[in-house]
Amino acid sequence: MNNLQANKTTRIIFSMLIVVFVIMQSYPVFWVTMASLKSPEDIAGSAPYALPQSIYFGNYVKAFTQSGLIRYFMNSVIVAVCTLLGIIILSAPAAYAISKIEFKQSGQVMSFFLLGMMIPIFSCLIPMFQIYNLFNLRNTYLSVILPQVGFSLPMSIFLYVGFMKYIPNELMEAAAIDGAGSFRIFSKVIFPMAKNSTVTVMIYNFVSIWNEFTYANTFMTKDAMKTLPIGLNAFVGEMGRRDWGATFAAIVIAILPTILIYFVLNKQVMEGMAAGAVKS
Amino acid sequence: MRPRRKIEPWLFLLPALAVYIGVVLFPMAGTIGYSFLEWNGIGEKKFIGFDNYVRMFTDKTLRAAFFNNLFFMLVGTAFQMIMGLLMATLLSGIRKGSNIFRVLYFIPCIISSMAICKIFEKLLSVQPRGVISVVMELLNMKPIAFLSEFKYALTCVTLIDGYKFCGLYMVIFYAALMNVPQETVEAAYIDGCSWMQAYFKVKLPAIKNMFFIVLVILVNGCLKGFDVSYILTGGGPGNATELVATYMYKTAFSMSNFGYGSTLAVFILIESLIAVGIVKMIQKKFSD
Repeated sequence: MNNLQANKTTRIIFSMLIVVFVIMQSYPVFWVTMASLKSPEDIAGSAPYALPQSIYFGNYVKAFTQSGLIRYFMNSVIVAVCTLLGIIILSAPAAYAISKIEFKQSGQVMSFFLLGMMIPIFSCLIPMFQIYNLFNLRNTYLSVILPQVGFSLPMSIFLYVGFMKYIPNELMEAAAIDGAGSFRIFSKVIFPMAKNSTVTVMIYNFVSIWNEFTYANTFMTKDAMKTLPIGLNAFVGEMGRRDWGATFAAIVIAILPTILIYFVLNKQVMEGMAAGAVKS
Repeated sequence: MRPRRKIEPWLFLLPALAVYIGVVLFPMAGTIGYSFLEWNGIGEKKFIGFDNYVRMFTDKTLRAAFFNNLFFMLVGTAFQMIMGLLMATLLSGIRKGSNIFRVLYFIPCIISSMAICKIFEKLLSVQPRGVISVVMELLNMKPIAFLSEFKYALTCVTLIDGYKFCGLYMVIFYAALMNVPQETVEAAYIDGCSWMQAYFKVKLPAIKNMFFIVLVILVNGCLKGFDVSYILTGGGPGNATELVATYMYKTAFSMSNFGYGSTLAVFILIESLIAVGIVKMIQKKFSD
């Protein structure tokens, strides 16, 4: 705010509102973290908003030993890594063909992909369920990886094309004169140059993949195959009434990885998610 | 660049096209096909023409879900837009520390709806007392079980869903506000505008287009609203928080009515296409 124009009262109101919003936006996470560090007596005896009287890690021990959290966590990692790899492997070459190879239908192909952004996942869920039943694919990693890759392609290709079209053609022509074919040009020139787009595509997709609920809830019914959000649901459903401490610890364990990644890469995460949203 | 052989671009496109058609378009076509069937998912498929569609028009639960969804969309869109714009405006007004505040404001966006729902479930709990009911007692009010009270449940679900996503619109609006050329704003100040006047007369009109972009995202997103309602209240109490997507999901996967569930899925598809079309039409009128 320009100091000349904003008078003192405006500035005080601004600062106060900023603090109010900080509390609002971070309180739930702060509260659950504090509550997870309370001992059972502390939870029963003190007000729910009170800070823990002493730091107690027993809830975490319980959450880890009495639940499949580690297993759920591993499942989530496997699904996220494979989905991201699938998205990159499919969308980068497709974007290269659309933006850098001259062919008559390139515009139509792009529009064809963009169509996918309009399609809600709910209009595909039932046939998917049937197909997975037919091929015995339920409770496999593939059953949640495939739809997420498919539905992420339009956005990811769009993000890649937006960058690749600005790579000068001279670079490719120079490589072509040196005898490189299309595939070499893609893998040695274009893809390495699009590194930043790859990071954006990965970050944009990571948060939603890590937090994905619908596919996992529909296709992963076996406990051993559950991802973190679904596993958390099962654990809280079972423990939620009896043991709040362990429940809080489980929630913290489930959100900690994203929070850590976010605090390191906050700029990229915010910009990546916003870029994806705006461009759709 | 010109390809050496005509087939080259298609070799690069083939894998993506195959997966896209296989997991997005093919199932969508399947849904449309199923919507004309009476089918429980395992037994025999029976073609019943438009019967499911006729049933849709007399389905009281669908009607309730549709109006709930309308409320969810209108209130959710307004709430997220106002919150996002407010946070962005506050941050664009300070010089120091806007980065760290932006990071904190964005936290709910990166947490899964599952975790958010579980946290709010405990915050709003009445038995045993959660934070909200204790605070209400301290204020001499009677604690309310917001999530199981017919009157409040839908508002709660709408606001919690909005709370989770409003940070995204803060980032979008913030970037737009910071992109308004400094000279234009300063010229307004030199002409004697107060901060408020400069904000409403210069800055907001300059980011007009961003409102429509955000509106499209929000309307589209709210019509597909599912997670918070499904996890937090399961559509209840009664069908107080039933949304079209949760109703479709339950019809198909809890009641094994795959035919009618597919018809509801087609409804969601058409509904979101129409809504986005309307917003785009309004946008065109405004930008002329």
